[in-house]
Amino acid sequence: MISIESTSFAYDDGAPLLVGVTLAVQPGEYVVVAGASASGKTTLARLLAGQTGADAGAVFRGAVTLDGETIRFDGAPTDPRIDPAAWSARVGFVAQGAWGQLSMMSASVGEEIAFGPSNLGVPTDQLRSLVADVAAALTLTPLLNHDPRRLSGGQLQRTVIAAAMAQRPAVLVLDEPFQGLDDDSAQDVADALEVLRGAGTAIVVCEPMLPRAAPEGARVLALADGRPVFDGLLTDARGAGLRRYGIGTAGDPPRLDPASDPTGPHGRELVTLRGVGFSYPSGRRGDDRSACLAGVDLSLHAGEIVALRGSNGSGKSTLLQHLNGLCRADAGSVSLAGVPILRQPTGALAACVGFLFQDTDQQLFERTVLREVSYGPFAAGHRRDDAVRRASEALERVGLGALEEAHPYELGFVQRRLVALASIIATGPAVWALDEPTAGLDDPARTLLAALVTAHARGGGAVVLATHDEAFARAVAHRSVRLEGGRIMPEDHPSV
Amino acid sequence: MRRRRIYNPLTELLAAVLLVVLVLVVNRWEFSLAVLVLVVVPAVVSSGRPRQIGLAVAVVAGPLLLSSLLLHGLFYPEGSTVLADLGPARVTAEGLSFAALMGLRMSVFTGVLLTAAMTLEVPELLATMTHRGWNRKLVFVVGSAVGLIPHVALRARQITRAQQARGLVVGRGPLARLRALLTVTTPLVIGLLVDASERNHMLGARGFSSTVARTSYLPDTDTPGQRIARRVMLAVTAVFSTAWLILPVVTG
Repeated sequence: MISIESTSFAYDDGAPLLVGVTLAVQPGEYVVVAGASASGKTTLARLLAGQTGADAGAVFRGAVTLDGETIRFDGAPTDPRIDPAAWSARVGFVAQGAWGQLSMMSASVGEEIAFGPSNLGVPTDQLRSLVADVAAALTLTPLLNHDPRRLSGGQLQRTVIAAAMAQRPAVLVLDEPFQGLDDDSAQDVADALEVLRGAGTAIVVCEPMLPRAAPEGARVLALADGRPVFDGLLTDARGAGLRRYGIGTAGDPPRLDPASDPTGPHGRELVTLRGVGFSYPSGRRGDDRSACLAGVDLSLHAGEIVALRGSNGSGKSTLLQHLNGLCRADAGSVSLAGVPILRQPTGALAACVGFLFQDTDQQLFERTVLREVSYGPFAAGHRRDDAVRRASEALERVGLGALEEAHPYELGFVQRRLVALASIIATGPAVWALDEPTAGLDDPARTLLAALVTAHARGGGAVVLATHDEAFARAVAHRSVRLEGGRIMPEDHPSV
Repeated sequence: MRRRRIYNPLTELLAAVLLVVLVLVVNRWEFSLAVLVLVVVPAVVSSGRPRQIGLAVAVVAGPLLLSSLLLHGLFYPEGSTVLADLGPARVTAEGLSFAALMGLRMSVFTGVLLTAAMTLEVPELLATMTHRGWNRKLVFVVGSAVGLIPHVALRARQITRAQQARGLVVGRGPLARLRALLTVTTPLVIGLLVDASERNHMLGARGFSSTVARTSYLPDTDTPGQRIARRVMLAVTAVFSTAWLILPVVTG
C-alpha cells in the first residue's frame, strides 16, 4: 500500500540519515518505527506523510510508492513535488507537539476534528456523524464544544489524533502519539487505532522505545543513527539486543549504576506543605476544574526523591507549581527550608527550586543553548562569566557540551529536554521539581536522567517528580505520593 | 447576559462596515451625531456587555479625541473666529467645530467596529463564509487573525512563567513591567514563527490546499432573506455614496 526505499536523506548538508532504509506497509498492518533521539524516525514519518523537506533545503534520494504509484527523488531541484492535498486524502499524519497542529481557526474541539474532512469537501451532515463517531472512540464527546486551546495536554493530544482519524486515511502515521498520556488515555488511543486497523487502515507508530503492548503481529523497524538495525516482529525485537542502540522497552526500569543508589533522606526538611488548598480562578483552565488542591500535606527532606503519581488532571502539575511560587496557596502554607512562601516574587525562588515544565518548549527562550542555560545562574546573582562557566559545566554533564552555540529550536525533542534540565543544574537549587521528566525520552536520556536525579539527592538535594512512568518512579524514588482529585491518597508503595 | 442574535454575523459585520463608509462619505457632523445617538449608543447598551465595550471604546477613542481637540482646537490654521488667544496657540470656533466633527466620526468608527468585533460570533461567521463558498484562504486569514490573539496572549504568559521559574523577577512598577514585556518579545516572536512554519506543514497534511469546495462542521444559519438584504444594503450604499460624491461636482 505504501512503501519507501530511501538511499539517503540529509538536512542542510548534515550527516545523511535513512541510509538504505526500506519500509513497506500493507493494509491493516501495525508497524512500530523505533529509535533513539536523532535516529531518523521523525524524518521517516514525515517522508511517509509526503513531506520530503524540499522546501526547507533537505535532500532526499529514493522512492516513495503509494497505491502502486511510485515517485522517484534524485536530490535534484527538478525532483517532483508531492501534492499535500492529494496525499493527505490517503495518508493521515500526527506529528509531535500537539500545539503546532491545531488549525487555529476552530473554536471548538468538534470543528478541529472536522477540519481535515471539511477541507476535502465532506458534506456537513456526514461531517457531524463522522466527528461524533471518532470523538466517542477517544472519549472526547463531553469536550466537543470546548475550546481546543484550553484543553489539558492529554486531551489536546487525543484531539489531534482524533482529527487525523477523522480523515479516514488508508495509512495513519503517528509520531510518538502516546507521549504525555496517562494509562487510561493511552489505552483509549490504542483501542481507537485498533478499530481503524480492523477496518483496513495501516498504522505506523514512531516511538523512542519498543512498546510494552502492541497488537498481535506488530512489526518493528528499528533505526540507529539513521540506519536500519532491525526489521521483524515485535516479539523478536524484544530479544534482539536493541538496547545497545539506545532502544529500550517502555516500562523497563532505567539502568542505575549500583554505586549510585540513592541514599535516602538524611538531612533537614527542605520543603513543607501544610494543609494546602488551591483552585484556579474560573475559566483559567477551561474544563480542567479538577486540577485544584485540597488539604495537601507534604514534606521533603534533603537526600530524598519523591514521586508524585496520579492520572491526567489530578493536580500533580498544580502541586509542583506551589513549590516555586508559580501557584500560590489559597489555604495552608508552603515553606522552603523553613521559610514560608508569602509574597516573594517567583523569580526570587528560582535559586531554591528548579522547575522542569511538562512542555519543554514553554521553557526555552534564548538564542543559543549556552545563553539559555546561563540565564538561570545569571538571574540568581552570579557574575556573567561565572554563569557561563556553570552553564558549560551543566551542559557537559547532560552530554550537550558540543551544542553550546546551537539554537534551542534546532535541537531534537530529547536534547531540548536535556537543555531545560541543564538550566536547572547550572542554577544549582537544592530542590528540583520535575514535571513528567521522562515523557518522550529515549533509553539513554532516561538512564542519564535517573543518574542525575540520584546524584542530586546524594549531594544533599531533594527531588519531587510528577510522572506516569511507574518503572522510573520505582527505580529512583524513595516513596510515591498519589494524588487524586487534588487530594493525597494513602501511599501505595513505600519502596527501596 | 449576551443579547439574542437576530442577524447572521456576516450581515452584522457588513452593516457595521457600510455604516463606517456612510459616515466617511457624508462628511457632516449632524449625520455622525445621529448615527452615534441612534445606532451606536443603543447597540452598545443592548450588546449584553456594555461595560467592556464602553471601556474598549474609551481606551481606543479617548487618546484620539484628546489629541484631535488639542491639535485642531489650538492650532487650526484656517480658523478666523478667535475665541481665546494664547500666544502661539489660538482657540478658534472653526477649529473647535472641526475637532468636534473629527471626534464624532472617530467615536462612530470605534463604537461601530468595536461593538461588531466584540459581539461577533466568529465560528458562525466562518461557517457562513464557508457555506457561501468564500475562498478558504480568506476564511482562514479571518479565523486565524481572531484565534491568534488569545494564542499569543497564552504563549506570552507561558514564557513569562518559564522566565520567572528561572529567576526573572517582575517588579510591580510600570518600568519593570515594560522590561518584562521586552524580555518576553524575542522568544515570543521566534516561537510564533516556528509554530507558523510547523502549522504550514500540518495544514498541508490536513488537506488545506485541496481545491474542492470546503464544507463546514457548523450548520448554515444564514437565510435567503439575509442574503438578499446584504446585496441590497451594498447596492444602496454604493449608489448613495456615488450620488452624494458626484452630484455636487456635476451640479457645480
